[in-house]
Amino acid sequence: MPTQENNDDRIALLQGTLDLLILKTLLFGPCHGQGVARSIQRQSEEVLFVDHGSLYLALQRLEDKKWIRAKWGTSENNRKARFYELTARGREQLTEKTEQWNRLTRAMGLILDPTQPPAPEEV
Amino acid sequence: MFRRKRSAQDFAEEIKAHLELEADELRQQGLNPEEARYQARREFGSVRAAQERFYLRSRWAWLDRLVRDLRFGIRSLRQSSVFAIATILTLALGIGANTAVFSVMNEVLLKSLPVSDPGRLVYLRTSNPPRGTGTIDTTETFSYSVYDVLRHQAKGFSTVMAYVPLSGDKVAVRFGAQPEEAEGDMVSGAFFSGLGVSLPMGRGFSEEDEVKHASVAVISYNYWTRRFARDPDILGKTLYVSSVPMTIVGVAAQGFEGAEPGGSTDFWIPLQDRKELNAWGNAPDEGKLYIANPTWWCLRLIARLAPGVTRAQALAQVQPIFQAAAFQGLGGSPMQGEKPPVLSLEDAKSFPGYDRMYGNPLRMLMAMVGLVLLIALANVVMLLMARNAARQREFSVRQALGAGRAELFRQLVTESLILVSAGGALAWGFAEMATRVLGNWAQIESSLAPDRTVLLFTFGVLIVAGLLFGLAPLRIALAGGAEAALRTSAAASNTDLGKSRMARLIVALQLTLCVVLLVGAGLLIRTLRNLENTPLGMRVEGLVVFGLKPNVRTVPEGIAFYQNLMGKLRVLPAVESVTIMASRLGSGWSDNSAMMVDGRIPDIPNGASDTVRSNVVGPAFFTTLGVPVLAGRDFADSDTATSPPVGIVNEEFAKRFLPGVNPLGHTCGPDKGQFTMTIVGVVKNHKYRSIDEEPIPMAWYMYAQIPVVEPMHVELRVHGDPLAILPAARKVVQQIDPNLPLVQPITQRAQFEKTIARQILFARLAGFFGLLAIVLVATGLYGALAYRVTRRTAEIGVRMALGAARGQVVWMVLKDSLVLTVIGVVFGVPLAFLVGRALSSSLYGVKPLDAASYLLAVIGVAAVALIASIVPATRAANVDPLKALRTE
Repeated sequence: MPTQENNDDRIALLQGTLDLLILKTLLFGPCHGQGVARSIQRQSEEVLFVDHGSLYLALQRLEDKKWIRAKWGTSENNRKARFYELTARGREQLTEKTEQWNRLTRAMGLILDPTQPPAPEEV
Repeated sequence: MFRRKRSAQDFAEEIKAHLELEADELRQQGLNPEEARYQARREFGSVRAAQERFYLRSRWAWLDRLVRDLRFGIRSLRQSSVFAIATILTLALGIGANTAVFSVMNEVLLKSLPVSDPGRLVYLRTSNPPRGTGTIDTTETFSYSVYDVLRHQAKGFSTVMAYVPLSGDKVAVRFGAQPEEAEGDMVSGAFFSGLGVSLPMGRGFSEEDEVKHASVAVISYNYWTRRFARDPDILGKTLYVSSVPMTIVGVAAQGFEGAEPGGSTDFWIPLQDRKELNAWGNAPDEGKLYIANPTWWCLRLIARLAPGVTRAQALAQVQPIFQAAAFQGLGGSPMQGEKPPVLSLEDAKSFPGYDRMYGNPLRMLMAMVGLVLLIALANVVMLLMARNAARQREFSVRQALGAGRAELFRQLVTESLILVSAGGALAWGFAEMATRVLGNWAQIESSLAPDRTVLLFTFGVLIVAGLLFGLAPLRIALAGGAEAALRTSAAASNTDLGKSRMARLIVALQLTLCVVLLVGAGLLIRTLRNLENTPLGMRVEGLVVFGLKPNVRTVPEGIAFYQNLMGKLRVLPAVESVTIMASRLGSGWSDNSAMMVDGRIPDIPNGASDTVRSNVVGPAFFTTLGVPVLAGRDFADSDTATSPPVGIVNEEFAKRFLPGVNPLGHTCGPDKGQFTMTIVGVVKNHKYRSIDEEPIPMAWYMYAQIPVVEPMHVELRVHGDPLAILPAARKVVQQIDPNLPLVQPITQRAQFEKTIARQILFARLAGFFGLLAIVLVATGLYGALAYRVTRRTAEIGVRMALGAARGQVVWMVLKDSLVLTVIGVVFGVPLAFLVGRALSSSLYGVKPLDAASYLLAVIGVAAVALIASIVPATRAANVDPLKALRTE
């Protein structure tokens, strides 16, 4: 029986970060699940690996929270796909979560490498 | 906006779309379509898991699973409905019986008096009353003077309270026009405040009420409900007690029904000082009421310990005060050679007298139903084991298909939960019924509604049962493991030695318990037989008795009343003879005291009691009862107030006090020597207070010759149905006094049987539980054996194919159960010895080691084992070898 080996440099996502990544990805326009997965992988230079099963559940969760909405449409290559799009509430959440994340990473950075200058504020 | 929940199908489609999109992209990167599709799938991971997670998301997954398990459980139980019904019924009977007995025990033995801080309350008891006194109960009653001294001087107590009934049974009351009866007590002014009983309406009594003998009454909540329909305007109304008007001033807290042993008091009035309301409804003794009579110890006392004082300290402080007070009015000190009475304090936490009356029988019943429950549980476990062993292949297959142990366990527990809750629901109904029967038995008039303790108890039993039933078969279910599914041979997979040893152990245990229960039941049923067949020493058929409380003021008036009454009753058609008596036969009441014989208290050799029971009776007393007069004569109308006083004694009296002489012509009389009677007759010993009493010296006075008039009981001997005379008798009574009810009319036989009613019901219940145990054991044994034989069909087939005779096969099966029976008997008989010893106080005319009971129990168990085995054994012998082998 073949077993999976973790011989690449990909990092499994931290708990709770997937939502943020999805929201950020959707900021650039509606996209289907596969596109979101690809986009995350590509944007992170193939470092972040998204478990597809978890992705779809996360999408569903966000939809349930009304942070995103979905409808069936057609992809560029004429495939039927379910497209997700940010809602107003989703945008608010994105801003808020990004701030949280920045605070967290700055704090982590201060502890792990105190010589580094404080990171500039960004949105 | 209402949005429909997204369907699992939609989700599946999205995943499908994802896979296609991914494959498209991979193809663009140069993979061939086949590989691209494969790669896309691999990247995704488990589609099924994702779908499963989607399905479980946002649902009450556990509830969903429970519903599924329940459905599955019900389906699989319905497939074996006989098993399910047998299990549920067994559980219902076992648990129901336990709940019922426990709720009565809870009510009677475990609950406290509904008073504040019951742990600080004590009943006062004395070792004995001083000589020359009369008592209601030798250890429990005290004189008014003792009470009066104690409540003023006993600093160890914060309050001393006295209470005394207005009558031995019920007292005549009137509310409005109709005369009726109720149970009433006279109590101290501090009764309600000292006990700490709250009064939801009105007020209790005060010291002033007692001092002034105020005409006020407090009624019990129960009486208020039962008689007055919770009339909110009851306060201020008048209740006539023995024709004395009392103003109702309060209603006592719900659940408080007085401190009388085993009774429920309807109303209370402050201690009175008037002839109509003497203690116990007695006529004044030589003109003295209970308050002025230091020789009549008739009050019960209850006290609250002073704050910070232990019981021992209180007793030490009170003892000398009590011992001095005991002889007040009796010469001030003990007579020569007389031991002073010793005071002791008894826990008043639980209801008075209940423990003595019902403690042992109830504890025995609890133990019995406990055993029955044990047998029932063992039965169900065995049934479950058998059933699940038969399902072993099902379990193996399910394990092979990927069901985890947790999953199997959950399913088994769910199945047992279904059984247990169905059984529990039925048990509750059964318990409600049984509780009512038991409540009647214990004459608990307060409500027996199961309270929280009982509920907890039943739930506890149910939960233990549920877990037990889930766990016991789990071992078997898992024992096979997944690989057992591959095995096909019945012979190979089913005769696991370990399992059959477990089943045998359970059967042996059941047989042991069954022997114990049967011996217990046998002893009690023989007791019942003995009680029912005890000769009463009289012709009790054709006798009917009723009480009268005539409104007479003087002794001659009373004598005239009864003479007139007897004369009128005697001429009624069907009446053979008529007499009267002060203490009703078979009522449990008696007048006990030492007696003068030939002018002095007799010396009794070897320390036998000098107590004599006496009764005041009318003419033709023994003729009417049918008690043989051995020497001399019966009382006659010619014995009057002016003729020489005469008395009659029984054999026991003659034997103990006048041994070796002809008692006729000797004299006897009360220990204070107020009057003396010449003995004119000796009668055969017969039962007086109750059926189970031993012979005791007795003496009878002629009512017309002694200066007391009391309420009397009329005894009629009639032809035909004794109760049929009552309307005519009532008419006669009402001709004399239209306001006079017949008190408790009943046949004399029924009156006597009342005295053994408790024993009878106890024995019947014990018999019932013994029978229940036997039925359970029989079905369990039958089930277990039948199951074992079925499992061994192949083996038996092989044996018979190899030449075993039918007889050998039958013997093989029978031997099995005979060995178990022997084991059961060997362990059961010594256990039964212990039970018999514990029962000995409840037995009458049977020794705890009664051989017949043991023999019957052993035979009974053996017979049940044999019968339960015969059917499977013959079935085994009829196995067709070819067919048996083909089942492989």
